[in-house]
Amino acid sequence: MDVPTCTIDDFGPIPLLAVGSAAELGDIVRQAATQGEAVYPLGGRTFLHLGRPPTRSGRAVDLRRLNQIIDYPARDMTVTVQAGMSVAALQQLLASERQRLPVDVPCAAQATLGGALAVNASGPRRLGFGTFRDYVIGITVVNDQGHEAKAGGRVVKNVAGYDLCKLHIGALGTLGIITQVTFKVRPLPEQQALVLVGCGTATLPTLLDQLHASRSRPIAVDVLNAPAARLVLGSEPSLPWLVVVGFEDHAEVVRWQVDRLGQELACCPEYHPEVIDGPAGTAVWKGLVDFVARPEPVMTFKANLLPHAVAAFCRETNDLLEQPLIQAHAGSGIVIGHVVGDLTLERAGPMLTMLRTAATGAGGNLIVVRCPPSWKASLPVWGAPRGDGWLMRQVKKALDPHHVFNPGRFLDGI
Amino acid sequence: MAPNALSDRLRDIVGPDAILTTPSDLLVYECDGYTIEKNKPDVVVFPTTTEQIVRIVEVCNDLKVPFLPRGAGTSLAGGCLPVGGGVVLALTRMKRILEVSTRDRYAVVEPGVVNLWLTRHLQPLGYHFAPDPSSQGACTIGGNVATNSGGPHTLKYGVTVNHVLGLELVLPDGRVVQTGGPAEDNPGYDLTGVIVGSEGTLGIVTKVWVRLTRNPDAYRTLLAVFETVDDATNTISDLIGAGIVPAALEMLDRLILQAVEEAFHFGFPLDAGAVLIMEVDGLEAGLDADAQRIAAMARKNRAREVRQARSEAERLLLWKCRKQAFGAVGRLAPSYCTQDGVVPRTQLPHMLRQIQRIGEKYRLRIANVFHAGDGNIHPILLFDERDPEQVQRVLQASHDILDECLRCGGSVTGEHGIGVEKINFMPRLFSPEDLATMARLRSAFNPDNRCSPAKMLPTAGACIEPTKAGRRAAL
Repeated sequence: MDVPTCTIDDFGPIPLLAVGSAAELGDIVRQAATQGEAVYPLGGRTFLHLGRPPTRSGRAVDLRRLNQIIDYPARDMTVTVQAGMSVAALQQLLASERQRLPVDVPCAAQATLGGALAVNASGPRRLGFGTFRDYVIGITVVNDQGHEAKAGGRVVKNVAGYDLCKLHIGALGTLGIITQVTFKVRPLPEQQALVLVGCGTATLPTLLDQLHASRSRPIAVDVLNAPAARLVLGSEPSLPWLVVVGFEDHAEVVRWQVDRLGQELACCPEYHPEVIDGPAGTAVWKGLVDFVARPEPVMTFKANLLPHAVAAFCRETNDLLEQPLIQAHAGSGIVIGHVVGDLTLERAGPMLTMLRTAATGAGGNLIVVRCPPSWKASLPVWGAPRGDGWLMRQVKKALDPHHVFNPGRFLDGI
Repeated sequence: MAPNALSDRLRDIVGPDAILTTPSDLLVYECDGYTIEKNKPDVVVFPTTTEQIVRIVEVCNDLKVPFLPRGAGTSLAGGCLPVGGGVVLALTRMKRILEVSTRDRYAVVEPGVVNLWLTRHLQPLGYHFAPDPSSQGACTIGGNVATNSGGPHTLKYGVTVNHVLGLELVLPDGRVVQTGGPAEDNPGYDLTGVIVGSEGTLGIVTKVWVRLTRNPDAYRTLLAVFETVDDATNTISDLIGAGIVPAALEMLDRLILQAVEEAFHFGFPLDAGAVLIMEVDGLEAGLDADAQRIAAMARKNRAREVRQARSEAERLLLWKCRKQAFGAVGRLAPSYCTQDGVVPRTQLPHMLRQIQRIGEKYRLRIANVFHAGDGNIHPILLFDERDPEQVQRVLQASHDILDECLRCGGSVTGEHGIGVEKINFMPRLFSPEDLATMARLRSAFNPDNRCSPAKMLPTAGACIEPTKAGRRAAL
């Protein structure tokens, strides 16, 4: 019988094993470690393109059968589930109690919780609700010795022991394989509304400053350039930039904020704010959340900046010959760019260098989220080296000294 | 080592005005708010720069002397107890607010900046630093980082780690590193996230990038009065169960009310079984509706009275009563001892009944004032430390209370930390594998375990058996 296989970034074929329990996963890890082989964890494979190609032969483990609800005491507003559960399945479970995890994960139907945590997925709502590090209160991983190790617990406030939850979020599975997680959850909001505001390139910085200072408290401020707005809205925008302002709260509070923002923006006729809610609003939210995972691009990058620099960075990106599709979570300083159409490695290199220089100049960095795997060897996939890179390598060395987990895929030397 | 080789070398670094070496001067530094165990350091230094700290750490390593950081010493679990002596680096002179950017919503501060100073500094700009421990008038941001401090308003806004973006750290080997920074989502591991709450065992924090939170436009602060503790805790359980998360939700029982009333004359009803302080904040719109929903929930649980603070002055007095409640406990007994357990919020009615049962079993008066919305209890055991038999009963009762928290699926510490006090509970909370993983993490930062030794993680043969309870500082 043929053993199923998979490839990661053209590396492979890698034998693929579906695991049904943490104990089974532990056995696989132990065996791999003994044989000097690597282990590559897989979830819904929606973000498998993130990172460099594997560097060592090994086996891949499909974790989607680890999808059980362990405990959902809804009245405590916490939930414990296995990490192979899809994000959509968790949200559906929570919605039955009028609760949710307010972290946006693209392709939620396929994406697993473990995968979403490993890549630290987020979206427009991060401005109002934060990211995974604000919701994970307990975690269990299978470590490099194949043992289950946990940190945190199941109560919302707990300072016992090191908070290893934080370390595994965004670690791309390089410190252990997440098998179980406990979240604190929030009530579903009573009402949502989006305000769409158009503007020209010259007015974008002013508009973002105005939104920052608004008496309303948006939970999302997303900026789209015209090509991106066309894809998200399905219609032709009339101005070069579209800013989408999101509110979620009790109906009365949302209404007040929408009205208030309307008054504040009345000063500039160009803005022409338009309110959308109901099913049309839901479709736009989904478009914003899934934007980072759009299928068209040859290359996708993500910059993290100080929020004040977002407008200038967007303009610089928009002025590129290729005019990438741009989405910025402006209040959080995150800018995502998709380059579509013809792009060569020779062109991609200098483009990224220029953008990365702009990003580091604005207090941040720039990573390549997706590109042809063959380019990765010559592109700065994980951005400019940071001063704490050596300490990260030391942490890796302490927790996975033999590089069992995802070797070569994360930052240099990890 | 010649006894004064250490102090001479340290004096060369910090100067004669920034070092303490005489036994009477060192007395203050023999413990924090946890006074059951005490040990004097050999030397206390007051560095003012990162460079000085690097040199101090190098001297300590050279002479193989343990060292540890200390803020205001308001911690409650022995986190800054100099186990085995050595050098205490008191960071209270590193108290500059280095940068504030409201546009990018962060500030950079030195570790000795007092929590409340920062919030006062930000007040005219319309922002604040969200963690607000009851000791915020004294405790430092560095200390908040070490213990991942909470406070009444962390129910809505989150604890310290949710508000720290980056750190500058002197590692135990003297190297300086910056983790994170003002921008979010830096590539790589979230080292900042794991250093927060590490109780000084991963290095010495010398700079903190904190997130700034906008001030609410308005508040509604309610006081609900109940005949019984049960009715109050059922209200809490119902509120959370209904998905209502106020900004703060605090409970005070009869015993603590009597002490607080005597101290502050707020007008608390002395015959009440318990009161809840319930606050909602945010935009003006919707606050009345929120307050009404909360009040209705309290009335459903037989609150005999629900009143709303009529002015900002009254609101502030109410919070003063809450935050200084521990200080008022001195009126009830010569000594007291508080615990910091956490239970799932639906277990609060059960837990409070258990505390009462434990109090009766050990013939102790136990007062309760705590962050009810988080399930974070703070039972205060009243006693007289001059009576060794009482002390034993207090220790046994404390143990039983924390045991019950664990049985309920909770934790032994919500915000005070493990320190040395609760180190023996760690093997009950975590498996040997969990603890081994934590020890491996510590070795990446602190391989010689010279920085804050004997804290947080139990090591073989280092079990501490407390034999006497002492008086605690304010929570």
